[in-house]
Amino acid sequence: MITGFWKTIAVARKELRQIRRDRRTLLILLFVPAFFLLIYGYALNFDIRHVRLALQDNDRSAASRELVSAFVNSGYFDLVGEAPNPQSIDDLLDRGDARAVLVIPVRFGADVAAGRQTLVQFLVDGDNANTATTVVGYAMGLVNAQSQRYELQARIGSPAGPILNVEPRVWYNPELRSTLFLVPGLIAYIAMLTAVVSTALSIVREKEAGTMEQVRMSPIGPVPYVLGKTAPYFVVSLISSMSIVVAAIILFDMPMRGSWLVLVGIVSLFLVGALAFGLLISSIADSQQVAFQVALLTSFLPTLMLSGFIFPIASMPTFLQVVTRIVPARYFLVALRGIVLKGVGPADFLPDVIALVIYAVVILALASVRVRRQWA
Amino acid sequence: MNAIEVRHLTRRFGNFVAVNDVSFDVRAGEIFGFLGSNGAGKSTTIRMLCGLLQPTSGSATVGGIDVVRDPEGVKRRIGYMSQRFSLYEALTVDQNIAFFGGVYGLSRERLARRRDFVLEIAGLRGRENELTHALAGGWRQRLALGCAILHEPPIVFLDEPTGGVDPLSRRRFWRLIEDLAAGGVAVLVTTHYLDEAEHCERIAIIQAGRLAAHGTVDELKAIFASRPILEVRAADAVGAMRTLDEMPEVEKTSIFGTAVHAVLRNAATDVQTIASRLEAKGITILSCGIVAPSLEDVFLDVAERSAA
Amino acid sequence: MGLTRLAHIVRKEFLELRQDPRLFGIVIIAPIIQLTMLGYAATTDVRNVPLVVVDQDVSSESRELVSRFDASPSFEVIDGLSSTDDVDRYLNTGKAWMALDIPQGYGEQIRAGRPTTVQVVADGTDANSTNVALGYASTLVASYARELASPSGQPQAPLVSAEVRVWFNPQLESKDFMIPGILALLLLVVTTNLSSMSIVREKELGTLEQLNVTPIARWELIVGKMLPYAFIGIIDVLLVVFVALLWFEVPLRGSFLLLFVMSIVYLMTTLGLGLFVSTISATQQQAMMTASFFFLIPMVFLSGFVFPIENMPAAIQPVTYLIPLRYFLVILRGIFLKGVGLEVLWPDALALFGWGVAILVLATLRSSKRLA
Repeated sequence: MITGFWKTIAVARKELRQIRRDRRTLLILLFVPAFFLLIYGYALNFDIRHVRLALQDNDRSAASRELVSAFVNSGYFDLVGEAPNPQSIDDLLDRGDARAVLVIPVRFGADVAAGRQTLVQFLVDGDNANTATTVVGYAMGLVNAQSQRYELQARIGSPAGPILNVEPRVWYNPELRSTLFLVPGLIAYIAMLTAVVSTALSIVREKEAGTMEQVRMSPIGPVPYVLGKTAPYFVVSLISSMSIVVAAIILFDMPMRGSWLVLVGIVSLFLVGALAFGLLISSIADSQQVAFQVALLTSFLPTLMLSGFIFPIASMPTFLQVVTRIVPARYFLVALRGIVLKGVGPADFLPDVIALVIYAVVILALASVRVRRQWA
Repeated sequence: MNAIEVRHLTRRFGNFVAVNDVSFDVRAGEIFGFLGSNGAGKSTTIRMLCGLLQPTSGSATVGGIDVVRDPEGVKRRIGYMSQRFSLYEALTVDQNIAFFGGVYGLSRERLARRRDFVLEIAGLRGRENELTHALAGGWRQRLALGCAILHEPPIVFLDEPTGGVDPLSRRRFWRLIEDLAAGGVAVLVTTHYLDEAEHCERIAIIQAGRLAAHGTVDELKAIFASRPILEVRAADAVGAMRTLDEMPEVEKTSIFGTAVHAVLRNAATDVQTIASRLEAKGITILSCGIVAPSLEDVFLDVAERSAA
Repeated sequence: MGLTRLAHIVRKEFLELRQDPRLFGIVIIAPIIQLTMLGYAATTDVRNVPLVVVDQDVSSESRELVSRFDASPSFEVIDGLSSTDDVDRYLNTGKAWMALDIPQGYGEQIRAGRPTTVQVVADGTDANSTNVALGYASTLVASYARELASPSGQPQAPLVSAEVRVWFNPQLESKDFMIPGILALLLLVVTTNLSSMSIVREKELGTLEQLNVTPIARWELIVGKMLPYAFIGIIDVLLVVFVALLWFEVPLRGSFLLLFVMSIVYLMTTLGLGLFVSTISATQQQAMMTASFFFLIPMVFLSGFVFPIENMPAAIQPVTYLIPLRYFLVILRGIFLKGVGLEVLWPDALALFGWGVAILVLATLRSSKRLA
């Protein structure tokens, strides 16, 4: 047991020296993640503003102008021009010069004043369904609100306003900043990739260089070997991940409402699983090329799309939700958001902690079985 | 005109001078040996002569073509085999031959002829469809040589071609090289197996980037003309060496297993005197006599002198 | 002469690839699997939002309101609570996203015709979905309010309503938007690192040096190494498009030929990128790190794949012009969804082509057969 420990240290030290010599890799692993967080966190958000809106006002009355200014003053829409005829609408949307068009019918003002029901048309570029849904939501809300104002003026309904109102209160993220939603996801994504990519080549590189034979001849043993190889990357990944978290707090006003201790614990647990996954890939592949491809294909896109980073898991079809259960970032993200935004502790996301533990244990076991078999 | 002419070739990497003002010639049909310890500058020199590395200063012509001005022209006239026997492991013997033959632009008939030749010299007839990575060291070595000379180049560079290969294969390989040279090919070989260097007609010893010695084997050994080498075999070789070191007639000693080589300052020294002195110290002598200098002796002497 | 040498290099690459059947399987089959899964992942529909209700009034009116929420496909009432203190537990653990708080006296207010307010508490973590969900809640309440206010008790339409028509994607199918993007990204991932690793591997093993010593020309070596991966890329394109059209029923309103040609131009850029990475890396590990961190990840985030470029801050937008994926995404989405051709897409096509040429030239210049 004790000798095993020292052997592990020996392997770890060698690996660390190798890492230190490959300066570029080390720099990338340590600093690039935080740097990229800066860029992406700044660049990426779902908040829709300045939607390019074109206008076809066939009425040009005071009422129609009021409606238009409601749109413009909301801050969501930018008026980019007029669309005098249907062909120009097509052109604008085709070319992407406008993302939405508001068409106000001929007798709009007169109808509104007389209390007659009338219809405006809202055309939206649907190619990006994400943003389109939101844009439609904005538009509907604006039209609705404006309609209520006209109703009041025309003395339809109660003078005191609608009989039933809803007052929304938003927890954890009152301004509904999508950044607060995205940044934890970004942290999880970058952490996962860093960990997997760093260990995915570690074992297979020795296999390709032929030094694996030598290692097996020495009295090291598979377990100290695996642990020793992973340990330096664990340290590097942990430093890297925590620096991203700190960067996010400083640069993006990400709150930290939970416990730092729990945070480090969860990050470490997640990293162990991710590193083990990279190791598993490394032990299965026989060439670095294959290892890299597998690492990318199993982590790059799946973690992006299936972890709840961008798309809510609850909205996915059932079969896919089952698939997301093997994406460790999914559980990590729930825990991370819980700690950071909700300020809760492990008791509130216990199932996810357990899942992370199971994942780490299973993958480590698989990796060591694999290595042991190749050792003999 | 010589096959290879090197004049004041120099290569710097930043502040480090890897090859320092080296000049020598290699004739057609000659086996020229390049000796030196690791890091002495052998591989760097070869790379410059092959057009793989640009010299910092100096010049060289290979096959009459200026290495600095027309490196691509050089490549058409040379064969090169690196220490790593660079073959494609995932390809079969035949596929490697076909590939390199194709790269050198051999016509179908010529390739067929050369293919037969390579399979013959490598002893790989009947094994054409074996994967290269399954071949043992000696076979791979000969295949690598074969692939390097498919296009019958008049000049061949071999960089440590016998590393990690068994002695029997090494000898077989050297016979191949000798056949090549006999056919008029100029061969420049680097090696640190000094016993193999005896196969070479002329040798250059490179030490820390400089040409420390240069000439035929006999010319090099002539440095011991007036300083004979006494070989003493004793059970207690270390003791013998210490005793010999103290004697005024001995310039220096070196040990080779159970044999001690003592360089005598003077050819007139009496061997018997030395022997009795050793016995007087209680050292049991198994044999004692003047031996012809080996290249190892030369190499050690040169290394010591240039280090000084 | 050059062409026969080229053919030999291509043949060697294929022979090597064949020796590693796993790699083959990965680059052909894995993209299909990925596409199948990921195509379904991209959705922003907000459905079945788990909702808890705190009914402090417990009147027939309050129960009516709750049943409206329950009946809506957007919400799913998962529990009824007696006090607002319990709401914490549900929102903290994520069991519920929203809570509807009906105050005491609600029923009485409604019966008397006096305005009253209910509260909706929402988990703001997922800002986007919350926005949408709150919007649904507002709409639901607003229309119920009109119903209550009308003298006949019948649902009454608002004075002004909006008819929404969605261009290009009437069903607002997220997948139609995402799948062309996934196609582009998969191509990028597969071909860029295949080409970068393959050259660096030869560097590491020493066979590259052996090749450099032969009279092979630089362009022959480069093109010869790229062609097999271009070929694999094209197969991938065809397979993925096939799956997209037949399985996912993504509409292809534009020209397939244009799609094919543009894909080849795109492959020029991805392979060129891989080649460039190989000229700046000494080991395969370096190539891998450089490719993923400096090229692949930025391309995912800044190309408009998921996050719209218009949303990005003005300082960052110029950077996106350097990303070839950006142009290819516009082209792909234009061809698939909008059914437009070169007359609209020519600026992006030109930019993509220019990018491809530039990167290939740059990489070729850097891959000298002789070290200076």
